[in-house]
Amino acid sequence: MHLRRFRFFLALWGITFLAILLVSRAYADGPRPAPAPQVENQVCLACHSNRDATMKLPSGETLSIYTDAAQYNASVHGKQGQRCTTCHANITGYPHPATTARDRRDFALQMYTVCKQCHEKVYQQAIDSIHSKDIAAGNRNAAVCTDCHTAHYVTNPHNPRSRIPQTCRQCHSTIFDQYKSSVHGAALLDQSNPDVPTCMDCHGVHQIGDPTTNAFRLKSPQMCASCHTDRAKMKKYNLSTNVLNTYVADFHGTTVELFEKQSPDTPTNTAVCYDCHGVHDIRSAKDPQSSVIKENLLKTCQQCHPDATADFPSSWMSHYDASPTKYPVVYYVNLFYTIFIPVVIGGMLAFVLLDVARRILDRFQKAGSH
Amino acid sequence: MSEQKEYLRFSIAQRIEHWVQMLAFTGLALTGIPQKFVGNAWAETWIRAMGGIEIVRFIHHTAAIAMALACIYHVVVVAYKIFVLRVRWTMFPRLDDVFDALDTVRYNLGLTKEKIKLDRYSFVEKAEYWAFVWGAVLMGLTGFMMWNPINTARFLPGDLIPAAKAAHGGEALLAVLAILVWHFYSVHIKTFSKAMFTGKLTREQMEHEHALELERLEAGQTDVRPDPETLKKRERVFLLVAAILSALMLVTLYLFVTYEQTAITTVPRRAQVQVFAPITPTPTVRAGTPAPTAAALKPLPASHAGRTTCNNCHANNIGPKNPADHAGRTDATCTTCHKMPDASGGAPSAGPKSLPASHAGRAICNACHETGAGGPKNPADHAGRADATCVTCHKLP
Repeated sequence: MHLRRFRFFLALWGITFLAILLVSRAYADGPRPAPAPQVENQVCLACHSNRDATMKLPSGETLSIYTDAAQYNASVHGKQGQRCTTCHANITGYPHPATTARDRRDFALQMYTVCKQCHEKVYQQAIDSIHSKDIAAGNRNAAVCTDCHTAHYVTNPHNPRSRIPQTCRQCHSTIFDQYKSSVHGAALLDQSNPDVPTCMDCHGVHQIGDPTTNAFRLKSPQMCASCHTDRAKMKKYNLSTNVLNTYVADFHGTTVELFEKQSPDTPTNTAVCYDCHGVHDIRSAKDPQSSVIKENLLKTCQQCHPDATADFPSSWMSHYDASPTKYPVVYYVNLFYTIFIPVVIGGMLAFVLLDVARRILDRFQKAGSH
Repeated sequence: MSEQKEYLRFSIAQRIEHWVQMLAFTGLALTGIPQKFVGNAWAETWIRAMGGIEIVRFIHHTAAIAMALACIYHVVVVAYKIFVLRVRWTMFPRLDDVFDALDTVRYNLGLTKEKIKLDRYSFVEKAEYWAFVWGAVLMGLTGFMMWNPINTARFLPGDLIPAAKAAHGGEALLAVLAILVWHFYSVHIKTFSKAMFTGKLTREQMEHEHALELERLEAGQTDVRPDPETLKKRERVFLLVAAILSALMLVTLYLFVTYEQTAITTVPRRAQVQVFAPITPTPTVRAGTPAPTAAALKPLPASHAGRTTCNNCHANNIGPKNPADHAGRTDATCTTCHKMPDASGGAPSAGPKSLPASHAGRAICNACHETGAGGPKNPADHAGRADATCVTCHKLP
């Protein structure tokens, strides 16, 4: 028997083999939109577009297995034409393999790891976050990818920008409530202000650290300063950019800055920006409810200086540089020494140099007379 | 040159005193100057080299105490010399010192051929001594203000504290530069004086630096030591006065160091925010058993009106404690089952009466009530309650 008889089939097998090899290699490099995935997704949607489709989990909870096709297609992944099976990779046909998840949270905790296959970099960042550490420590409530981004309907998380605090609010509602009435939060949520910080600007995005560490505390003034020393940004709101310099020039700031640079893990109670101005509930310093407005300042100082009395707060120069109108005593003391030191030391130098000159002259004369 | 006659200039006690002051001054300068210039890289490197800002401040404070002790000693010794030994006031500034200074300049300028004869302490030394006295007083006062800002602000306007800091730094820079220019030139560069090492000056040095004193010594004009009888009488009075005065000065120094605890030493206590507070009840809460209908549970007592946090009390041991199966439930989920009373539903009831008016403006309850120092001690069942929870029941004026 000649193989020639089978050459058509052999060629077909060869082509099929090559095609499989190429497709599998393509997937090994990373997912690519496969040809006409809509067809495949439609296969899934045949069942999963049923609004009432649910699955019973061992805990007794029901898990909805419905996916809104229109919403998925409008999502970033839908627009790319990603297949359902890119993420649900264990599903190859029907019946599906049984899930090992005991309850709904378990299911989410099992599924979010699939994000890693395409989003390795941010996934690794998130692994270092406080959320992941909490998960590892057994807190099942800590956020995973899908808690913030959703599973099927991922869209640009900062469009509009005000979406960011709304996302965090899902778990941190009490903090959100403080933030929304703060000078930053109100500007973002009521006026869509592009300059004010959202949660992310202070806490980071995926690599969200523990904000209760010593290191976070010590670097926090630099964090605030990243906007509050930005001239262009502060000019819009008529705010001083001198706040960091004046803070660092005083006892609190000197200590904190030196700790931050030289021993960033030192525990300290020395005041940082948020000890006086508030954390999430920062108000404008002109707001009558502000913790730093003159009327409330003593109470704020007393948090750390319980014995402080009425005039103690004026020992803090309120971020002002001394001038003839603001803190004139300080200004004139500095002015005095700026003049007095050169005059006195200059006088001494003149006296000394004259003496030196005389001595040299005397020596020459003595040598000459010999 | 052989076997030159030497003259005792400083006794061993004076030399030790000088060394103590010198070490204290050096310590203060080395730790103070980088603090004045903090923000500059060189100053921060300097601080790091000395072990960090806390160690730098500790050394600065320790050296300040050493200098203050040496100053107290000095006052007592000078008083003894003046009132008991009744020596000549060699350090007392006189109008002649001004003329001496002017004549020295004139001589150096070649305006006069006559070199001025100087006494035991010349205008150069008097200027330095009295500058030190003035500096010690000013640095002591401004140092006190920075060390005890709360008590300073009780008696003086608060803005004098940053002014004190400015003056402390300015005066310090002046003092250090004066030492480097004036003192170093006079006793180290012009001629290297060994008077603070051996205590002695050679006859040649005496001729150059203290010609007038040399004349006095050679003419036999020295201080006459009082006869033992008089000395004993004077010493008796002096000892009493000196004991009282030095005790007063030592107490002042003790107060200087311990007058107040400026700030709390714990990390600031702040009202804790509930970090995990989901807006929708978590799946774990909904797991399994269906929630009882709101109607099934009776509403909370009216005294709960206006309260917004549940776990502040019920997760701690204030009010009935949450049942075991409620563990981990957050405030946001409570109202799923428990009915809150109307916001208008009556005033917060019963409970302890409001605090006396003298509490106005106070913010930290446990500062006094935790230990019982300065107010009634918290009852035993209040143990571990944080300040943030006090106002849940106690009404602030």
